[in-house]
Amino acid sequence: MAKKILLVCAGGFSTSMLVEKMKEEAASKGLEIIIDACAENAIESNLPADVIMLGPQMGHAEDGVKVKVGPQVPVTTIDMMDYGMMDGEKVLDAAKKLMGI
Amino acid sequence: MDKQNFRMKIQKFSGKIQSNKFLGSISNGLMLTMSVLIIGSIFTLLDSINITAYQEFLQSTGLKSILSIPPSVTVSLISLYAVATISYSLAGKYNKDGLTAALISMMSFLLLTPMGLMEDGMSTGIGTRWLGAPGFFVAVIIALLVSRLYVLIVDKEIYIKMPKGVPPTVEKSFASIVPGIIIATIMLALRGIFQTTDYGNVHSFIYSILQVPLTNLGGSWWAFLATTLIGSLLWGIGIHGTMIVYSVMAPIWTTLRLENLSAYQAGLELPHLAPGGVFQATYITIGGSGATIGLAIAMLYATSKRYKTLGKLAILPSFLGINEPIMFGFPVVLNPRLLIPLIAVPFINVSLALGLTAVGILPRLAGIGSPLGTPMFINGFIEGGWRVAVFQVILVLISFAIYYPFFKKIDVEAYNEEINAENAKESENVILEN
Repeated sequence: MAKKILLVCAGGFSTSMLVEKMKEEAASKGLEIIIDACAENAIESNLPADVIMLGPQMGHAEDGVKVKVGPQVPVTTIDMMDYGMMDGEKVLDAAKKLMGI
Repeated sequence: MDKQNFRMKIQKFSGKIQSNKFLGSISNGLMLTMSVLIIGSIFTLLDSINITAYQEFLQSTGLKSILSIPPSVTVSLISLYAVATISYSLAGKYNKDGLTAALISMMSFLLLTPMGLMEDGMSTGIGTRWLGAPGFFVAVIIALLVSRLYVLIVDKEIYIKMPKGVPPTVEKSFASIVPGIIIATIMLALRGIFQTTDYGNVHSFIYSILQVPLTNLGGSWWAFLATTLIGSLLWGIGIHGTMIVYSVMAPIWTTLRLENLSAYQAGLELPHLAPGGVFQATYITIGGSGATIGLAIAMLYATSKRYKTLGKLAILPSFLGINEPIMFGFPVVLNPRLLIPLIAVPFINVSLALGLTAVGILPRLAGIGSPLGTPMFINGFIEGGWRVAVFQVILVLISFAIYYPFFKKIDVEAYNEEINAENAKESENVILEN
């Protein structure tokens, strides 16, 4: 089954840009990964996911999200610079590492 | 160490504000009203474009009276919509049935609203004045109060439990009876109590002791200067300041904006100097939080590869008011070298905009509220015509002038680093002293 990366953000505008970049990156590498974005209060309805990545502006919510989704799903905050530079490759690599692929 | 500690404390505090269920459901609920509110805004615009030939055409074809209907069932009834969407959001945050909570809240709101027999002696009229902007605070209070009460009643399991085998829908409809009865009784009691006072009803009580004073306070000069400053400072330490400020100010800012919009629609003088979030988006945070539009333009002239790349990436979204790439990619947040322009530019923007509006050089903004992502200049033009759009151009130039010298220094350093790194030929691993 295809793995799923879930990005979590506040407004959703800039994260949607990053999702596009990551999808391009995954497609060019021939990876079958579902990449999706949602707001913090919609995480539960977007589960299951194999990794949850928070936008840097949501970093303060990391602990709360960890409690919410339980220990089996890795939760991380995206590196500020990678996020700002919309570096799809680096963020995808970080996600792959956390998912163990 | 102490500084770090202080930052963590503020971060925690902001996190608390941002994840506060009540504040969160107000802004979520308001976002949900967007779909009907925007219809009202579009038709208000269509109805009031100030071209004589166009207005004559509307009058002669009878279109005028038709175009004014959508605003009067959206903007003018906004409190009725908001009470439902806000309580829906709050109940959802407690994992409860949002629709039931929304309906009970709507009922409660109407139970508190004056009504009476119409002149025809047959139909009952509801005081629509309180369903519009003047009833907005009551809508917010009732939505939060009733929804929380609903959650409490359901949690305490005082609803009627059905034996196994009864279809879940039956249980659901019966479940809503108990909370409904309890809440309706409370509302009727409230209505009764207020009928005996000079205010006559809850609406005029809340309006005069809470809504008017708070909106005057929140719409004042110093409130805008303070919220602008706080927003910038929070961004400086890496917190989404714009969002924090909005989640606290949302009820007041929305009221300011709606009161201007209602007046605009009725062709009256606009009551507020600065209609909240619309004022902020049009002037203060032009090009995104921190008014970084000038920085985005400056990056187009970058000598370093790093900022050239970021500039290309960031410029288009910046014109749409989206600047997270700059905030985090430059980065502007947590960057002491950009703290001065980050604070100065929005502050200059808000001071100039308030001043020029007060003396009448700039028109008051209508409060149309174009959706996030509307290009700058266009959003200004929609709010107040060409003068606003021209002033936005000036704000962009100011932002450029202030950000540029700070940017230039950082850019030259980045360029030198890149050159050195290339010369050293071991590009990736070279660590240069800062």
